[in-house]
Amino acid sequence: MYKLLLSWRYLRTRFIALASIISVTLGVATLIVVNSVMSGFVFEMKSRLHGILSDVEVAAPLLGQIHNPEYHTDVIRKVLGNDIESMTCVVRNPALLTFEVNGRQWTQQVMLLGIDDESFGKVTDFHPYLQNTHKREQFSFNLEEHGYPQWVANGCKDWIGESAWDYRRRKFQKIRQAETRRLEQERLYDLAAAEYLEQQAAKSRAWDANQADDSSATASTAHYDSVDSSEQPIAASPATFIGPQAPDRSSAKKSMSESGFQYVPLPEKAPDFAALHAQRAETASETKPSGLTLAPTHFSQAGGKLRELRKFSPVDAHARFRDEPNVEEFFNPEEDQYTGIILGLAIAKRKTIIDGELTDFYMVRPGDDVQIMFPTVGGTAKPISENCTLVDFYSSNMHEYDSSFAFVPLKELQKIRGMVDPLTGDASVSTIQIKLKEGANLDEARDKLIAQFPPESYPYDIHTWQDTQRPLLSAVNMELTILNLLLFMIIAVAGFGILATFFMIVVEKTKDIGVLKALGAPSSGVMSIFLGYGMALGLVGTGAGVILGLLFVRYINQIAAVVQMITGQEVFDPAIYYFSEIPTIVSPLMVVLVGLGAILIAVLASVLPALRAARLHPVEALRYE
Amino acid sequence: MSRSTAAQPAKLPSSPRKSGTTPLKLATQTLMSATSIHKSYRKGTLEVPVLKGVDLEIAEGSFTAIVGQSGSGKSTLLHLLATLDAPDQGAVYFQDRQIDNLPSRQREAIRNQEFGLIFQFYHLLPELTTLENVLVPKMVQDGFFSYLRNKRAYKKRAADLLEMVGLGHRMTHRPSELSGGEMQRTAIARALISEPSIILADEPTGNLDEQNGDEVLETLNSLRNQENLTVVMVTHDANLAQTADKTIRLVNGKVV
Repeated sequence: MYKLLLSWRYLRTRFIALASIISVTLGVATLIVVNSVMSGFVFEMKSRLHGILSDVEVAAPLLGQIHNPEYHTDVIRKVLGNDIESMTCVVRNPALLTFEVNGRQWTQQVMLLGIDDESFGKVTDFHPYLQNTHKREQFSFNLEEHGYPQWVANGCKDWIGESAWDYRRRKFQKIRQAETRRLEQERLYDLAAAEYLEQQAAKSRAWDANQADDSSATASTAHYDSVDSSEQPIAASPATFIGPQAPDRSSAKKSMSESGFQYVPLPEKAPDFAALHAQRAETASETKPSGLTLAPTHFSQAGGKLRELRKFSPVDAHARFRDEPNVEEFFNPEEDQYTGIILGLAIAKRKTIIDGELTDFYMVRPGDDVQIMFPTVGGTAKPISENCTLVDFYSSNMHEYDSSFAFVPLKELQKIRGMVDPLTGDASVSTIQIKLKEGANLDEARDKLIAQFPPESYPYDIHTWQDTQRPLLSAVNMELTILNLLLFMIIAVAGFGILATFFMIVVEKTKDIGVLKALGAPSSGVMSIFLGYGMALGLVGTGAGVILGLLFVRYINQIAAVVQMITGQEVFDPAIYYFSEIPTIVSPLMVVLVGLGAILIAVLASVLPALRAARLHPVEALRYE
Repeated sequence: MSRSTAAQPAKLPSSPRKSGTTPLKLATQTLMSATSIHKSYRKGTLEVPVLKGVDLEIAEGSFTAIVGQSGSGKSTLLHLLATLDAPDQGAVYFQDRQIDNLPSRQREAIRNQEFGLIFQFYHLLPELTTLENVLVPKMVQDGFFSYLRNKRAYKKRAADLLEMVGLGHRMTHRPSELSGGEMQRTAIARALISEPSIILADEPTGNLDEQNGDEVLETLNSLRNQENLTVVMVTHDANLAQTADKTIRLVNGKVV
């Protein structure tokens, strides 16, 4: 009883005990906070790293292919048995992505993935990272009317399209109008030119007639006079000097008119270009459906180009296997889209300054067309290019992925790259991705697959997602281990603090120890006072530390905000860490272990002083005064 | 602790002693004795003899004073009697039983239940209140649960004792809030809580002024009469020694 009472009283009355408690508290709180943040960070990072990487992957080398994927999936299913959750086939190859930013070409390298609409999302965490809310639920490669997040609108002030189709329609409508205006202008110029020529021709005709009438070789001055007097001031213009050549031109004009060229009624005077301009502007602005407005057909050149290119692609030999028999099918970009493509957000996103504020700028947006160029399969790979319509962005917040991945439909890519056997119609793939059931051993599965497809006989690269990200993962793991080790040192330091404190207290309490022994307290009892004291210190310190640590973890983002407000230094930059806020995971086991460790250290630190106290000779102890 | 029940069945029903005036004095049994005790302390390589063959007998119910100059070994003798230290030679007997060679557990039990110790410097525990200080021997004696069970009775007895020594109003005070005399009276109450057979006091008035010292001695004397206690007191106060039933004078480690 006296042990508890004295432990408790010592704890309550010693100010120095508070220092020990605080050191234990801080140590425990730090360990909990750092561990929670680190494990949250690692978890988030792992899930992001894992993101669109499948658990296990059987990959053909670059430009290579896996023929007969059905056979392979059957074999894999047999080898891995019940561990398989789902499988998907993917075509993966590097490609060049080109798009226009304000009339200038922007080209960059991407990793093009041909994915299966249905199974790819089951194997990887693909869908949750899509930006379009409809696509997350109902995936397709079609451009959506709605569901694109507001950021697209915020990013670009000149483009306020709420949905991608709106944007696309408006964009191509604008292009069409501009084109119409251009053609209209050209036509008016033609008209003016024709009119002018006609005038000249008339003039030369008149001159010819004059010559014929006045066959006597009158002085040319007379002719000039007559011209001057009879004709308009135009005659003074230098253009009249082309006079001598006029007969040829008039004949040409004649032949033109003979061939059915329709002249617009001639203006009285030479074309007034300013007026013409105004008139054109008027036409362009008010009357759209005029006879001169172009049908969309006129500028489907982009599509036409693609189709031309397709003629040269090796696939063209297999044109009969294509779904679209009519290559010259009418393509209206206001209504139609090319093959859908999904780009990593970081490919398109740049920072810009709008109104003095750093803002995101999207170089391409859903609804824009992009061009991808990539090699065909096989030894003599040839580049082919294809137009695609950007239908969505992909953002896993892993910059490595977001800045390099582009997704297109598997079947399209197989066709274009020449991966479809012209005789059988079987398509090859380049990668088979496998998702294993929860808890399945990835390395074991990989080794089984390697045994099944040994590199001696199969040119496949078989690896888990962890193999792919091994350097990063092992670095993070090592960091975590070392951090824990270092932090445990903090508690150890607190332990030594307790040790020193306790030695001091034992010296201070020597007399009391003597009294207790004189009153019949056994050595073990005296010892347990100090062990109990240490334990009490550990318990109180740990309890406070656990509470403090958990509170800190709970409000870590608010705390970071406050610290940022005070110091002006950004504590947590989401752009660097890919996370919008500091991720934390509190593992109960970790908290318990840290707490037990701290208490154990406190008790261990009090063992030596307690032993010393127990060994004190009562007479010696009482002699102190 | 198990020993105590066997050793003194006669002592447990101790309440009659309180009421009894002097009926047991007739017996004059020897309660404690020591034979040819030698004790020396080591100071480095030098061996300093303190006690050189001391014999003494303490009759039950008597008041024995041990006197001598400082350094004569009187405190050492008291410590040996209280089994706080072991003699180099010789033996200490308590109730006809050699106690200096007992295992530490049994010695602790005897100290706790048979001896009441009073020190020159009171030696109260500063973290505990007066009442708790008086209860310490009981806390040491009992385990956690038996203490809790008996707590009420113990507290009552401790309060009675404090009342007896005139400190009924200071039970919740810390030692630092008490005067020297009050502290020593608290120490007396503590020495009595276990109803000991013998009080061993080491210059209980040595650190007190005359008035306080007299008060303490008065208290001790009245208690001795009330509870029929055997008292062994180390002192260098000649007047005090004269009031004792028996005086043992130590000179250079020997009884004169």
